Amino acid sequence: MSREKDAANYAVVFFTAISVLLLLFPVSKIAHTVRIAVSYSLYPSLHYGARYTHYIRNVPDNFVRLLETDQENRALKEKVRVLEVRLQSAAALEAENERLAVGMRLSRALPWAGSWARVINKTPADWYGSFFIDKGSDHGIAVNDAVLGIEGGRAGVAGRIFEVYPKFSKVLLLTNSAASAVCSLAPDGLEALVEGKGTWMLKLNYVPEEARLVEGAEVLTSPGGLLFPAGVLVGKVGKIYQRESFMNFITADIIPAVNVNTIKEVFVVKRNLPEELLGARQVEKK
Amino acid sequence: MSIIFEVVVYLAVGAGYWWWAQNLSFFGLVPNLIFAAALCAAILAGPVKGIAWGFFLGLYADILGSNLFGGNALAYTIMAYAVYVVKRHFDMDSPFSQLVAAFSLSWVWLFFYQGLSIIFSRPGNLDLRVFLTEPFLNAFAVPVMFPVFYQLKRRFGVL
Repeated sequence: MSREKDAANYAVVFFTAISVLLLLFPVSKIAHTVRIAVSYSLYPSLHYGARYTHYIRNVPDNFVRLLETDQENRALKEKVRVLEVRLQSAAALEAENERLAVGMRLSRALPWAGSWARVINKTPADWYGSFFIDKGSDHGIAVNDAVLGIEGGRAGVAGRIFEVYPKFSKVLLLTNSAASAVCSLAPDGLEALVEGKGTWMLKLNYVPEEARLVEGAEVLTSPGGLLFPAGVLVGKVGKIYQRESFMNFITADIIPAVNVNTIKEVFVVKRNLPEELLGARQVEKK
Repeated sequence: MSIIFEVVVYLAVGAGYWWWAQNLSFFGLVPNLIFAAALCAAILAGPVKGIAWGFFLGLYADILGSNLFGGNALAYTIMAYAVYVVKRHFDMDSPFSQLVAAFSLSWVWLFFYQGLSIIFSRPGNLDLRVFLTEPFLNAFAVPVMFPVFYQLKRRFGVL
């Protein structure tokens, strides 16, 4: 019993120490490499999300034929149903077509080079923190590229690229409590910091108390912010909190321009930032 | 041989949680199957194995998110150790005790993780929706998952 207790004590100390080390060195090269390697190996959606046929490649032929017949039967039933509701679905398709057309027109009008990507995975435990898109380093995506969403025919900041894999990437949303962006406020162009709160809403911080701040004012990315291209809509000012506690600043809620609950496609802006400006991790690699 | 089964079960838990989250989520809510598996493993396995399962399942949960890397691993490791201590004094095999343990530990875990967030990054990423509902979902998930793990242990020597 005592031996078992000792073993348990050693085990808990050992694994606790490893966990604390991972917590303490989140951006070190080794921790980052381990994270990417483990993530790449263990995350099923990233490998097989769109390729279920991979699972049946070694199944006997007769069984596969049976499956195919069943699938064909289902497909035919589905086809009948689709034909019955064609009129209704045509309207939905038309709406989608219009939405994508607006997006494509907008992307051509945008002054930045980039590419469209689909949102392929959201995690309930990190709903307002991050999601995965189906483009990766093979498609020219790089860490810190800006991610825009289109809503109401206008581009808005969704987040930035956080981790890049060959075929997919992880996007750190602006609503993540660790994310922030330097923004300017209409109409005076006053600069302030927009921070994520881990909820659907954002927080505007460091606005001097004498500043003229009005509800509904547009918040745009500022040229002073490195990570996002200037002039992109971040959101609109919601409730204003006059001088919180002892701080000589006004804070306000920001209603994001992009709703992460409904976003399906994003536009990834290629930033081509100088490597020296990309932060410690990039410089470290050199 | 059992180590291969353990790896398979580990991957199956991760894949199962991913599949459930993608296809059966209700308003973005799902029972935390990784948490449930860590608790079942801690109840069924010996101390070292239970703690190791907790650590590796926590690591998987960390990979899914973008916040603290190592936070869930630490929380599940400590939870497995706590379960090892508690199960020497209480019967953890009955569904009711598992339900109570899952319910209370879910909240302890949420508070602990939030505490780690305050220490290592910034507070405010605790989704109230998750905080209020997930302990209930977990409480019902553990007594359902426990017999599965029990059978895996009996038939394949997993855990």
